[in-house]
Amino acid sequence: MIDAVGLTRSYRRNATVIPVLVGLSLRVARGEFVAVMGASGSGKSTLLGILGLLDRPDGGTYRLDGAEPPWGDDAALSAARNAAIGFVFQQFHLLERATALRNVALPLLYAAGDVADDAGRAERALEAVGLAHRALHYPGELSGGEQQRVAIARALVNDPALILADEPTGSLDATSGGEILDTLRRLADRGRTIVLVTHERAVAERADRVVTLHDGRLTGPPLPPGPAERPGRAAAADDAARAAGS
Amino acid sequence: MNRARSAARRGRLARSLRLSVELLAAHRLRTALGVSGLMVGVATVVVMVAIGADAKRRVMARVQAMGTDLLLVSAAPAPPIAGRQRQVAVHTTLRAADAAAIAAASPYASAAAAVVFGTVVAHAEGLNTTATLTGTTTDGMDIRNMRVGSGRPFDELEDRERRRVVLLGPTVARNLFGPADPVGRPVRIRGVPFDVIGVLRPRGTDVGGADLDNVVVVPLETAMRRVLNVAYVHALAVRARSGEHLDDLEADVRRILDERHPVRSGMPAPFVLQNQAVLLRTARGTARAMERLIASVAVLALVLGGAGIVSVMLASVRERVHEIGLRRAVGARRRDIQLQFVLESGILAATGGGAGVIVGLLAAGAAALLGPWDLVLSWRAAALGVACSALLGLALGVVPAARAARLEPMAALRA
Repeated sequence: MIDAVGLTRSYRRNATVIPVLVGLSLRVARGEFVAVMGASGSGKSTLLGILGLLDRPDGGTYRLDGAEPPWGDDAALSAARNAAIGFVFQQFHLLERATALRNVALPLLYAAGDVADDAGRAERALEAVGLAHRALHYPGELSGGEQQRVAIARALVNDPALILADEPTGSLDATSGGEILDTLRRLADRGRTIVLVTHERAVAERADRVVTLHDGRLTGPPLPPGPAERPGRAAAADDAARAAGS
Repeated sequence: MNRARSAARRGRLARSLRLSVELLAAHRLRTALGVSGLMVGVATVVVMVAIGADAKRRVMARVQAMGTDLLLVSAAPAPPIAGRQRQVAVHTTLRAADAAAIAAASPYASAAAAVVFGTVVAHAEGLNTTATLTGTTTDGMDIRNMRVGSGRPFDELEDRERRRVVLLGPTVARNLFGPADPVGRPVRIRGVPFDVIGVLRPRGTDVGGADLDNVVVVPLETAMRRVLNVAYVHALAVRARSGEHLDDLEADVRRILDERHPVRSGMPAPFVLQNQAVLLRTARGTARAMERLIASVAVLALVLGGAGIVSVMLASVRERVHEIGLRRAVGARRRDIQLQFVLESGILAATGGGAGVIVGLLAAGAAALLGPWDLVLSWRAAALGVACSALLGLALGVVPAARAARLEPMAALRA
């Protein structure tokens, strides 16, 4: 799913060039749940931005699903983000003045294809995170954990293969955070590819594999484990079969 | 396939617009602030256009009533000599024959007539009233736009024979006879007995507000010999063949009169010319000045309203940086962001313009009820106001929208 080799990215602040990623390589197999650990400022979000096609690396190669992203083409890049990637952020990034349902439906405004079932898709996504009964509530009327689940529903609404989560529990208490991790775990077990970025070991340990970002490089097992060792593989196969059937 | 895709895009654009409207509606204060400048501006324009159009109509109507192709030659006021009070206050050189000379000599004149004036007291049936006496020929009545409403006009024979026949202005007729028909009744003017042969049609007031209906009109010769006892005339009324040739006619008249009444060089001419074209130009100029005033108020209002829209949109972009980053992350192209903010600006402006039209029409309606104005409503102007506001909003939205579209998604999300 993800095949990144030798990624570099640096930022320029005034005259100083600050290197953030220096030759980072990462491979993530389809259906795998990988946690990237790192101290704050280690470049986790930068990495996630590149993986999510929001930011272009200075050097190195990145293949998403076997193909290099169309970096120069804003329309194609946006379409790829829309169809293939779902984001979950630490601050939720919900529209405060719009209902949960409208928030979940936001990616559909930019989707290609038939519009007829947009409302149904948003409702089903909310159902999948157990918030169908909150569809017409505004974010301010929901708890932190519920808001993050709305955000997850928004990430799922276009049925993307890859979910990128940036400190998804960082703004939540332990209980709500645990629920969010359960939700992500369940998605992974059903075959979604998930890359989660965190600085908390307890959070990272819910993933299939943990890599650590340090000095702009990754340490830890660089390659996915063999298929036999992966938990949830059966569920993934189930999911794939169901998707093929539908 | 392509058609299906564009249909889908249209459907999603409609939804995107609906979301924008909901977000604008939710930010009540910000939206109200953005809209208010334009609303006040458009309302002001609507009121000014309504009242201005009425004022212009009135001025033009008054000028038209006096005749727009008329040149008036008046005897000049005589200068006092050695401080002595003079019996006659004007030069006494103009003659009835001058009118005939002008009509014969100038190709630009279609008719000319001599006129005498006097303030007289008219008696009838034990009542009296003060009125302006006008003595003139049948041509003169025509030139001065005097029309007989009931009864009949006098003819040339009656003028030559100095018959004592009179036409009453409506005001005089009412003052002396009330609602009764005065035709055929006797009237004494400065003690001279006359027969009323007709009543003039009402002419209203002149530009200065004087009552044009408080007059008695008698044949020129009758007025000169039997009432006023003068050998000169007070004025010559000359009608041009067309309004465009008034200035040429004025030059001709000046030349002809200078030849007939030479004065020593350096002395002022014994007559003054009053060109109706000048009045018309003045009236048109006033109307145009009013239009310019309205136009500049409109521009000022639109500039102020536009500035309000721009500042609110810029604030909106700043405040919604996270939203912009999020929309990019979930698949919005730069174009989509651009379009969203341009349309929001247009919606904002159209709302302001629409509210302004409504407020303006209400205010103009109230003014018409309270003041002396007739309301001149123009639905086309109202629609134009809303359309202009919307276009203005779309145009003004471009810069804030470009700023929004330029944002780097990563930076926007982290801001």
